[in-house]
Amino acid sequence: MEQQIRHKAKELLEGRTVECVIGYERATDGASARPLFVYEPEEVDKLIFDQTCTHNLVKYLLDKKEKTTAIIVKSCDSRALNLLLNEKQIEREKVFIIGVVCPGMVETKWNQVSQRLQPRCQLCRQHTPLNYDFLVGEPPAEEAPPAETYADVAEMEAKSVAERRAFWSEQSKRCIRCYACRQVCPGCYCSECFVEQLQPSWVGIRIAPAENEIWQTIRAFHLAGRCSGCNECERVCPVDIPLSLLNRKLEKEVWELFDFQAGLSAEAVPPFATFKKEEALGIGE
Amino acid sequence: MTQTISRKNLLAWLSRLLEHRLLIAPTHTAEPILFRPVSKVEDIIFDFDNTAISPKEWFFPATETLFWAETTDGRIELVPATLEREAVIFGLRPCDAKGLALIDKAFLAEPADTLYQQHRDKTVLVGLSCRKAYPQCFCTSMGTAPDDPSYVDILLTQVEEDYIVQIITQKGKALLPDNLLVKSEVVAPPPPSPSVIPAEGIEEVMRQVFDSPYWSRLADRCVHCNLCAYVCPTCYCFDIRDYESKGKIERVRSWESCQSPGFTRQAGGYDPRAGKAARLRQRFYHKLLYFPESFGAIACVGCGRCVMVCPVNIDIRELIADIQKIGGPNVP
Repeated sequence: MEQQIRHKAKELLEGRTVECVIGYERATDGASARPLFVYEPEEVDKLIFDQTCTHNLVKYLLDKKEKTTAIIVKSCDSRALNLLLNEKQIEREKVFIIGVVCPGMVETKWNQVSQRLQPRCQLCRQHTPLNYDFLVGEPPAEEAPPAETYADVAEMEAKSVAERRAFWSEQSKRCIRCYACRQVCPGCYCSECFVEQLQPSWVGIRIAPAENEIWQTIRAFHLAGRCSGCNECERVCPVDIPLSLLNRKLEKEVWELFDFQAGLSAEAVPPFATFKKEEALGIGE
Repeated sequence: MTQTISRKNLLAWLSRLLEHRLLIAPTHTAEPILFRPVSKVEDIIFDFDNTAISPKEWFFPATETLFWAETTDGRIELVPATLEREAVIFGLRPCDAKGLALIDKAFLAEPADTLYQQHRDKTVLVGLSCRKAYPQCFCTSMGTAPDDPSYVDILLTQVEEDYIVQIITQKGKALLPDNLLVKSEVVAPPPPSPSVIPAEGIEEVMRQVFDSPYWSRLADRCVHCNLCAYVCPTCYCFDIRDYESKGKIERVRSWESCQSPGFTRQAGGYDPRAGKAARLRQRFYHKLLYFPESFGAIACVGCGRCVMVCPVNIDIRELIADIQKIGGPNVP
């Protein structure tokens, strides 16, 4: 796989098809992976791909809008890429997608690489990227359509309002508002985030339970029908807030209401970017 | 001759402290180990590498009110925040204690930050030497050591079931009664050896690499969250906002970081560090050049937290080694 990736990257850089290839290299712990930007054909041997390459690199395309860029995407990442195409944030012609058939990512932390597949990967049934120009790896003969299972969401839904409120208050209490969740999220690309707006000021600067809850809640709502499930937010949270539970609850709602999951197609029109008269839902009656 | 305290006496002492002081110690919250007030000594974790967030949060809290302002009879009255409670931080690592000593340089230089001063005055630091060097640690390269007693009031070093006690300050002496200690022949084990990084002469090299393309390449990968700054024992930037409620103004400060978009945006809209590379470069220039120029020490203590938490492995150890190569003496 790695050889195929390096070979393709070299070819693209040498032929000046792209200015840069975004992929992965080994991190300084010698065990996990980190994003790598390759500009020179001589550097392609640094590229790796294995079960530690968990980062969703798609967010970086937003910094490369002006240049033609190649990017390595797994299946979940390809959904994020489709999301950005759906929302007209990137131009398809400017991106060369190197899709990799994903073996599933293992749980990693700095200097710790486990053998255990990440929970999201245990549930995943789509191993081949949904959008690519060049595919690396052998796609499985048959794949079930990607569908989330929501056992943990249902468990949370079964709790009383008071219990849910207590649970989430406890979680947001720990938030330090480092915004790592936002910064890695491919869906969070507002040029000015609502937390930084001053007029009006939607949420205060206090790093305190009430403000943190507003931050977490509004961010989750902004991602309703847009979260592609890469789980980067949860991976980077320094205080282990189970953000995917929140995001997947909203994904489930959108699925039930609109029969829609983010990023399944490059041509999809997202539910919040369109309107049908019958969706008026009684407003104004 | 050294003096030691038995584990039993240590726990008894901590239990007694709990009665009239806030005892802040490493403890499990949900998952990460953090410095939090404990209500019983059983909740204290003694065997840990380090906490996820540095103990600076108890001196320079993530959020705190600086003062309130009220208008009465046409006169504006300012009510500064005051701290009542005396606290003890137990179990802080020598590197983190040095972190506080570095923040002191910025916050206690005249005119001193009075609220920070109160936090410092009302808190006693009981340090715990490191028995192991963890993979992320590089404190000896940053001018401190796993058993450095310089920045705490009391330093404990575990030797089997006892702790060697070094009382460093009057504050420490007043806190720990002599009758709990015994004279002993126990010798402290040699301190562990954390990894060494080539920090020697980094200031001079930093002066030469400001315009290097290195920064924009590194910024390619950086996601510009505030994580490194918030876990860092020496970062001390903040934002300030006034809140008004029923005619009363409350001035609040909260952690902020040079990586935030808009951190240096000026009133007219111009942002001298709008670009990501400029923002990332600022972080390391502040630590490795500007702070040493102003206060005589590198603003890093080698705790390795930023190395561990960075979502994309921006590693200050690697950066220092890279910079030494780029800006070495052979560069024209």
